[in-house]
This record gives sequence, C-alpha cells and structure tokens, in this order.
Amino acid sequence: MLNFILSRMARAVMTLVMVMSFAFIVMRLSGDPATILLGPDAPQDAIDAFRARWGLDDPLWKQYLAYIAQIFTFDFGISMRDQMPALDIVLERIPATLAITLPAMILKLGIGIPAGVYAALHRESIADRGVITLSIFGFTIPSFVLALVLVLIFSVQLGWLPSGGQDSWQHAILPIVTLSVGGIGIMARFSRSAMIEVLGQPYIRTAMAKGLSWRDVVWKHALPNASVPIVTLVGFMVGALIAGAAVVESIFSWPGVGRLIVSSVANRDLAVVQCLLLVIASSMVAANLLVDIAYGLLDPRLRSKRSAH
Amino acid sequence: MTPILEARGLVQQYATGRSLFGKPPSMRAVDGVDLAVREGEILGIVGESGSGKSTLGRMLLGLETPFAGEVRWRGQPMPAPRTDMWRRLRAQMQLIFQDPLAALDRRMTIAAQIAEPLEIHGLMKGAEAAERVAELMARVGLRPDQADRYPHELSGGQRQRVVISRALAMRPKFLVCDEPVSALDVSIQAQVVNLLRDLQEQEGLTMVFISHDLKVVHNICNRVAVMYLGRVVEEGPSGEVFGDPRHPYTRALVSSIPKAGRGLTDRIILQGEPPNPAMRPPGCAFHPRCAIADAACAGEIPELSGHRGRLTACLKQRAIIPATAA
Amino acid sequence: MTDTTLPEGTGTSPVKAGMVRRLRTSMPLVIWCAVGWLAAMVLTAIFADLLRPHEITAMSLTQRMAPMGTPGYWLGTDDLGRDVLSRLIQSIRVSLVIAFGATIISAVFGTTLGFLAAQFRGWVENLVMALADFQAALPFMIMSLAVLAFFGTSMVLLVGLMGFYGWERYARIARGLAISASAQGYAGAVVQLGAKPSRVYLRHILPNVASTLIVSMTLTFPEIILMESGLSFLGLGVQPPQTSLGNMVGFGREYLTRAPWIMLAPSVVIVLTTLSISLLGDWLRDRLDPTIR
Repeated sequence: MLNFILSRMARAVMTLVMVMSFAFIVMRLSGDPATILLGPDAPQDAIDAFRARWGLDDPLWKQYLAYIAQIFTFDFGISMRDQMPALDIVLERIPATLAITLPAMILKLGIGIPAGVYAALHRESIADRGVITLSIFGFTIPSFVLALVLVLIFSVQLGWLPSGGQDSWQHAILPIVTLSVGGIGIMARFSRSAMIEVLGQPYIRTAMAKGLSWRDVVWKHALPNASVPIVTLVGFMVGALIAGAAVVESIFSWPGVGRLIVSSVANRDLAVVQCLLLVIASSMVAANLLVDIAYGLLDPRLRSKRSAH
Repeated sequence: MTPILEARGLVQQYATGRSLFGKPPSMRAVDGVDLAVREGEILGIVGESGSGKSTLGRMLLGLETPFAGEVRWRGQPMPAPRTDMWRRLRAQMQLIFQDPLAALDRRMTIAAQIAEPLEIHGLMKGAEAAERVAELMARVGLRPDQADRYPHELSGGQRQRVVISRALAMRPKFLVCDEPVSALDVSIQAQVVNLLRDLQEQEGLTMVFISHDLKVVHNICNRVAVMYLGRVVEEGPSGEVFGDPRHPYTRALVSSIPKAGRGLTDRIILQGEPPNPAMRPPGCAFHPRCAIADAACAGEIPELSGHRGRLTACLKQRAIIPATAA
Repeated sequence: MTDTTLPEGTGTSPVKAGMVRRLRTSMPLVIWCAVGWLAAMVLTAIFADLLRPHEITAMSLTQRMAPMGTPGYWLGTDDLGRDVLSRLIQSIRVSLVIAFGATIISAVFGTTLGFLAAQFRGWVENLVMALADFQAALPFMIMSLAVLAFFGTSMVLLVGLMGFYGWERYARIARGLAISASAQGYAGAVVQLGAKPSRVYLRHILPNVASTLIVSMTLTFPEIILMESGLSFLGLGVQPPQTSLGNMVGFGREYLTRAPWIMLAPSVVIVLTTLSISLLGDWLRDRLDPTIR
C-alpha cells in the first residue's frame, strides 16, 4: 500500500514536471520570454534587467532549471494588463470559482450516482429509459447552448433569475445548474453501467444464493464494488468542471478563474495564462492523486498487495 | 548421433511485480536445464502446469532470450529475437500452439494464412503459392473447399490442422509442439497426434512434444524429459522412463496413468502443495511432497546425473545405488 | 472418421457480409434518424457552395435582424443583415471539416504511438504512457487555451490542436490490444513465422483492432465538435470572417433577447449532430465491440 501511494506520488510529480516543461517549451517557442512576461511596451532597460536576472542568454538547460527554480519561489511574472503579480490575480479569483464548482460537484455526485444506481437496479423500466435518455441529452448539449437557453427562459421570459454578475446567491443558480447538468448525465450513465457490471458478477449470485436479502446484497456487495470505477471518474470530473467553468463564467460574467483565463488568452496576458496553467494543473494532479489513494483504500486487492499493478 | 539442437544451463526468470526501490521480485520459470535434441527424434517434455515446460520450449525455438545459458542450433548460437538472421531461421523451426483459435488471425481466410510464410520468406507467390497451399491442406486432411473459410467457421481439430500446415509451409526441420492437443476434444486428440507422427516420419522432422498428458507422450515420443519446478528430474528413452520410473516424482506421475483391467489401487497420491515457481522450496524442489525425502534433501539441489544407465536428479538414487557411468 | 466431416459453422458467408447483414436487419428507428441526419450534414458540408442562397459576408442593410420566415431569408438575418441559412451551411462545413480532420489526425497519431509502445516496450512505452497520463491529467480545454494564448489563433493551429484531442485513448487501446495479440495471440504467431513488424502491425493487428478504433472515433468526434464550438463561442477558435457553428452561437448571444433565431439554428445543429453521432457510436459499440465502455 505504501509502495502504491509512493508510486502514485512519483507519477503526480512527473506529471507536474511535464506541465512545467510544456509551459516552458510553449513559451520559448512563441517568442522572447522577456517581452512575453513584461509586455511588448516594456522599456528596454526593464527588458535588459529581466534578461540578466533570468539568464536568458544562458544555455537552454540552465534557463530551464532557472525557470523551475523561479516557479518554486511562486514567481510567475507580472500581469501586463494590471501590473500586478500574476499569482495574486489568480488567487483572488479562486473563491468565486469554488463557489460555483463545489455545489456543481455535489449536484453531480448527489444526483448522478443515485440516478444511475436506481436505473441499474430497475433495468428496462420507464425510470431506466428516462435516466438513459436524459443523460444522453445532458452530455450532448454544449454548456454554452444550455446556458443561453436557461437565460432565455429564466431571465428573459420569466424574469426569475439574473442573467449575469455576482451580487447575490440567486446569481449563482444558473451557473451552477449549467455546470452540473452534463456531469450528472455522465455520472448517471457511468454509475449505471458500473453497477450493471457488478450485478452480473458471480459473487452477487453467490450472495443471493446464501439467502441474503436483496437490500443487503446491494448495500454490502454491489455498491462497494461498483464504487471503485465510479471513484476514478471523479478525478476526471474535476478537470471537466474547470474546463466548463471557462465557458460558464464567461457567459454569466462570473468573476472566477475560468473567465480570467478566457480574458487573459484574448488579451494575450501570458504571465497570467502561464500561472493559471500551472495552478490548474497542480489542482488536477492533486485531485487525481487523492482519487488514486481513495481507489487504493476502496480496492482490497491493492490494500493487501505490496506492489503497484 | 550429433544433436541438432543443444541447450546448456538454460535459466529463465520473470519479474513478478514492480518495486520503486531495490530489485523487483522475480520467479524462475526454468532453472538450469541441459538438453540435447537429436535429429529425427521426438523428444517429450512432461510436467505439471508451472513446471516451466512451455518456457523451455520457447527458449529452444529462440522465441525468448534465456536469462542465462545458451541454445545452439546445428552448432551455431541462436540469434537474438527479431533480428534478420532470427527471422530467416524461422523457416527451419516452427511452433505448434496450444490454442489454434488464438494463433490464427480471425479476419483472414485460412488459405491466406497458410500462404503467409511463403510470402514472408519470399519463396513463391501467385499460382505457385496457391498450388503449394492446396498441397499443404491436403497433406493435413483439410478439404479444398475450406480454403476460403475463416478460422471461426472451422472446428477445433480443423483449426489445429491449419496451424500445422502453416508451420509446415517452409518445410522446417524442427518443430516444437506446445500442448498441441490439450485444447481439443478427446475424440479429436488421437487424430491430430497421429497426423503429427505421420508428418514427422514422412518429412523427417525433429520434434519436441510438450504435454502434461503422459499417455500421449508415451504414445508418440522416443525420449522423454520430466520437469518439476523448472528443472529436469528424469530423462531417458520413453519406454524405460514409463516402464521403470526412477525419480519419486516420475513414479507418482506414471502410477496415475490409468491402465485397462486394473484399478488405480497402487496409485501414489502426491501430498502437499502443488508446485509454485514463485515459492520454490530450498534444496530438492520436490522434497516437501516426496515420500522418501529426508533432511538432506532440503539442503542440496540434486544434479541430473547417471545412475544405472539412467539420468535422474535425486539424492536418494545416489544414496541407494552408487553412481555408475551413464 | 475424420473431423473434417463435423458440422460447419455459419455457412459459406464470410465475416464481413455477416456483419453488415447483422447491422442492417436490426437498426432501430432512432438510429435510422441519426444516420439520416448525419448523411444530411455530410451532404450539406460537401455541397455547401451549391446550397448557399447568399454569400456568407453579403450584408443587406435593409434586412437587418429579419426574423425567421422572411422570404429569401428563411432562417432570418443577423445584426449586419447577413443570411443566417447561408452562414449556417458554411458553418456546418467548417465545423465538420475541423472535427473530421482532427479525429483522423488524433486516431492516426494515437494508434501509431500505441503500436510503437507495444513494439518496443521499455523506455518508449514508458514515455508514451507518461505523455498519455499528462494529457489525461490536464483539461484539454485549458491546454488549448494556453496554446492559443501563446501562438495566437489560426485555422491550421486550431485543427492541429484539436488533432491532439483524445489521442491518448487510441494509444492506450492500440497498445493494449497489440500487446495481448502479441503475447499468445495471432500476432505472436505471425512474428514466429518470421514476419517483420510492418507486416505484423499493418496486415494483422490493424485490421483486427480497426472496429474498436472506429467505435472510439465515433466517441471522440462529437467531443471535438463540442470543443471547437466551445472555443469558437468564446471567440478563441474560428475567427471571422470565417464562420463555424460555435462562433455563430457566440455572436448570436449578444442578440439573445431581440433576435434569438441567430443562435437558435446553429445550436440545434450542434445538439442534433453530436446527439446523432453519440447514439450511433453507442449502438455500434454494443453491436461490434463489447470490450470498451
């Protein structure tokens, strides 16, 4: 188990190193980092100072090491738009994003999993068909279309909810709903197929043959086993939420990380983009690491085995 | 007679897991085997599953590089797998698989598959190749109208005939048959075994026949080697090994062959755990299950050596009867 | 008796004919609708130049924001008086070409890497798998945004970028299937006959894994459409004067209250197209390939 956790941590660190390298390569390929991080209008002496400070005339491997060292001191450069450290701008936006992504995540799990499990336990029923149909619609409707339709209905026609901004809790409702619908569909479908697969296993038949009640079979045997694949999907969901936030926050003028990334890409505020890339990648890697560890705790084969699979 | 194929000190081991720190755990599938295959003979290799007989067969063909030791084909060392020399050598030596359905491409007609070695080795093509395929199919008892069938449309026995005819396409000298009939219905097994024996006689093939079925091995082989946990424990002419087994393990195996008109009254039932290559007992690997083992057996690995004209690997044999030259 | 007289399997028809027949006889109505819609979309994309009633940039100042049903402008016009139907037809072509090109690139790239990993094992395999992990760990949307920020937006870059979408899935599938085929299966048998890797992979493994790869392509195709339209919606994908489904919705968003038809038509096309491919893909997967989920 310890070995398993260590190997997953090694993989997480490796992924982070690759993200950093990706950012480094993309930045070097796209032009002079001095003008990128300071902006094209920066005075020549500032550029010279920057070049000297970050050793841009050194060989590439030295620059790479310096770049890594720079990141570990949380120095991501200055936003050329706001003339503020990029990291501060990013950190300032995180609470707003969490305020809509966390409730969306809870809705995804809280509605998606029970719906999927219910559908699996009542296969071929009307409820099952309904869950399948709704879930297919849930993830084929793009979030921006859904958002606009919701705005059209609830803000324009009915006037119940505001269509943008962050002034009250009502403002969060449409963004949260938009963010969660697709995920609920995916979660429901995946839970359904995981559950159906588990219910087809011989140990379920054995448990039923032993005379356990259907309720006990489901709660003690089927659900714990089905939870293993479902947990792996949760890690993927975190990534989908962040990507979804980019679209949803832009539509609803929600001042979070997602809207920040879209506006800084549009403005080519590269210090901020780079900082966002690393912050998002770190949180993704951390989430996946937690999921892997949870997976290890849920899967007794990994718990007892010394080596990673 | 000079051996056509010679193996010296063959060892194969596999990693059984991965470890971040230190050496990964490993198990030895084959643990020091010397073997000589003489031209034109059928050598049987018998043993339980996990005895390393399939791994040995793959190393004899050069499909796997041994961890230690070497295989020599006609006096020359075996080239490394997937080199050009190794590929050319495939025309001379072939493998017959246990599961013919897995060994055949399910999206190709059997005629196309039998013709493959001819194309690969650039021997012939077009009408000439088609003629050779028809000849090969007739040779193994397949009907001409089956040429355009796909593997799943044939029966198990027919599929194995396809595999055999594909292996024979280049007129190889040496054939390793790895459990060639154990996946087949009992009613078909004898036909395929007889086919292999006929082919061996008519084509002058040298053959290694790997099986856990002692009756089949007794039936077809000139010589037999008995394996237990990666080592050969007894080797000799098939009639002698089956008629007068020396090693306690061979005795137990031979006593389990049912004979007509006699119950299994004097059958030796083996005690203890079945062999597991990941947990190899110290000393003679067979000693925990052996009826005549004593403390010494746990301390020393017996070598395969001659006793009264026979090759066995048992300390007790040496103790009871002083070694004589084989 | 020899076993050649045993009863035969499924008669004389080869595998492929049997598969097509199986597909044809049992297609539910909804799948027929999906196939019909997709065929209409493909035809629209191919014959876009003939079908367009107006030029996509032709402005008619007298007909600005004409509602649906206006004669000559059946789907209405936008804020500049451009015909929505003409722009929609062109958008279908652009979005489908991007999604199609990107799906092919990603399938070829991923499958090649997967095969390389299976063939060489060792560090090549570790590298490919580490790259796949990296790709799966970073949301594709965020990665695309970063690349677009650094390099600016262009059509070539966009297709190239979308061509990376989902490659890691093909790589994993191709590697897994190739390894299992080589271990004891038909590929190992052909290697054992003396075949070179090119023959093993192109003539044997590729035809055998093709159905699984095609099913994966039907799963990534709608995702690429959604990804491209999402980026274009945000103004970071296809740039004007060129138009795509996402970028039409993006522009229509500004006139949501006064002229909802501007965004309605492209939205419906996106939803129906992705829905059709998803349904078709699901159905194909159940039919042809129960091994992937």
